Amino acid sequence: MRSLRGLHYSSVARISRCFVARWQGNVIRYISISINCLSGSRRFTDKHEWISVNENIGTVGISHHAQKSLGEIDFAQLPDVGAVLEKEVTCGALESVKAASEIFCPVSGKVIDKNASVEQTPRLINSSCYDKGWLFKVELTKPDELNRLMTESEYETFIKSGVYK
Amino acid sequence: MAQAMAQNMFRISQVSLNNVVRCNAYAFAPATSQAKAYSSASTTDKEKSKNPIQKSVFISQSTDIFTNLALEDWMYRNFNFNNHHVLLMWRNSPCVVIGRHQNPWVETNTTNVAHQGMEIARRNSGGGTVYHDRGNLNLTFFTKREEYNRRNNLEIVSRALFREWGIESVITPREDIVVKNTYKISGTAAKLGRPNAYHHCTLLVDVNKVALRQSLHKDDKGIVTNATQSVASPIMNLCEINQHVKVERMLGAVGWEYLRTCPETLEDGGQDLINKQRGFQLINPTDNWFPGLNKLKEELSSWDWRFGKTPKFQVNKSFRVPKEFLGEGEMGVQELKVSLEVNKGIIDDVTLKLPPGLLSTNGFHGEVDVVTSLRGQPFSERAVVSLENALHDMSTKEGNLQGKSQFVMNCMRQVMQSV
Repeated sequence: MRSLRGLHYSSVARISRCFVARWQGNVIRYISISINCLSGSRRFTDKHEWISVNENIGTVGISHHAQKSLGEIDFAQLPDVGAVLEKEVTCGALESVKAASEIFCPVSGKVIDKNASVEQTPRLINSSCYDKGWLFKVELTKPDELNRLMTESEYETFIKSGVYK
Repeated sequence: MAQAMAQNMFRISQVSLNNVVRCNAYAFAPATSQAKAYSSASTTDKEKSKNPIQKSVFISQSTDIFTNLALEDWMYRNFNFNNHHVLLMWRNSPCVVIGRHQNPWVETNTTNVAHQGMEIARRNSGGGTVYHDRGNLNLTFFTKREEYNRRNNLEIVSRALFREWGIESVITPREDIVVKNTYKISGTAAKLGRPNAYHHCTLLVDVNKVALRQSLHKDDKGIVTNATQSVASPIMNLCEINQHVKVERMLGAVGWEYLRTCPETLEDGGQDLINKQRGFQLINPTDNWFPGLNKLKEELSSWDWRFGKTPKFQVNKSFRVPKEFLGEGEMGVQELKVSLEVNKGIIDDVTLKLPPGLLSTNGFHGEVDVVTSLRGQPFSERAVVSLENALHDMSTKEGNLQGKSQFVMNCMRQVMQSV
């Protein structure tokens, strides 16, 4: 278990539940999967934003479901670099069909970059919401907040339930 | 029928007003605990059938655009629309209102509008620029985000026009309401958040069309921007179709239609459904009744919000240089090119491209002074004054450049005043 030192408890707990029966025969696979759970994989909010974290820097965007329901985006108003944001606070807006939809920051942190290409060409959000259509990057101040967000499969279930538009 | 209904409305509103005075502090206190709990709550079908959606019509007693925009924002942020939809009706003194992501210098002539004593306001919703006066009725339909439906709201307005005056209207794909297949009488915009959302629209009853045309008149000012642009449409007042259409009657017509229409199915529930609703209320938008309203009003009326929030843009203009300022031997048409970069309403950079002929043998040193005097200035009349001072100082020092510097100054003034 020395290889798991320093990993967050809930990540460790989840991995343990999945792999406890096989850890002796699959130590290397265990470690690589645990690293993936902490970096790169996407988490989702109930307001249809996603965040993908790498070395404490989170890249934020909106989900495919969100871009589809908004329609063609005409304008992206993104938070300024240097802005200090709290989780679930509005930090910008996307305009489509004369409606301004608020963007909510998924986690607390400081904005370190925003996507100038999206400001210039907002339709990138429609065509590539998980890649070129990213919105801004934050340096997380409370990484624990990530654990309260949905995983990709939890988000898919959430969408299918149709509770929220 | 309409008169009886109108009388009923004012009787109800008087009763409601008494209720408002008694229970206002409770009714309008910020529902912050409800607002923050939204992410985990959902309205199940069981809850909906137990507690059907009730409707209220609020009529703002203010005609100040900033107060009304603040009231709208206050309700969006603080009100609990669980099983309760609200239609807010409001009118303003003459003003120009731009959309959230628009450029006021593109959409209107800010200098002219100011000279006419009108305010320019920026609203929180998207969409284009509109002119308001007391002949225009604004309608804001508040719901929870999941129950937001613009077309349904416009259907209610369309029905009201027909029921009260027999006016036929159509809702276009852009969600304007048009009459006679051509003339726009209502434009729409919206704001979507969690848990609340609103859709608002205008209704041209009896606006001053001359003032409207003058305030929304756009020339090509050489502005390059990615801000959202307005789409111009031919417009008409409803009073031109039917002389009996008045704003006071419109309040009742739309209000009653809203109350009698089922929110989910759009079915006409008639008087029975009206009796189950919460009725009309006159609203006095003050900080006492709406704690925090003054702060919202201050933000909405600040220069930073109205002008500073403008997406960055560039102004490019060219001026033909008179022959007398060109050097000997210079042939053909020469142009002075001015380019301003404006970010957050502040002039970030100025570039002057001077034709070789405009330079004297001593060089044109004024360029540097012109640029430095403008940088960091808000894009406004103040910048012109600062520029005039810089060029005046320069021309008194170097008398032989007075004609040329006057020319450059006039060009810069034209750039600033044309917007």
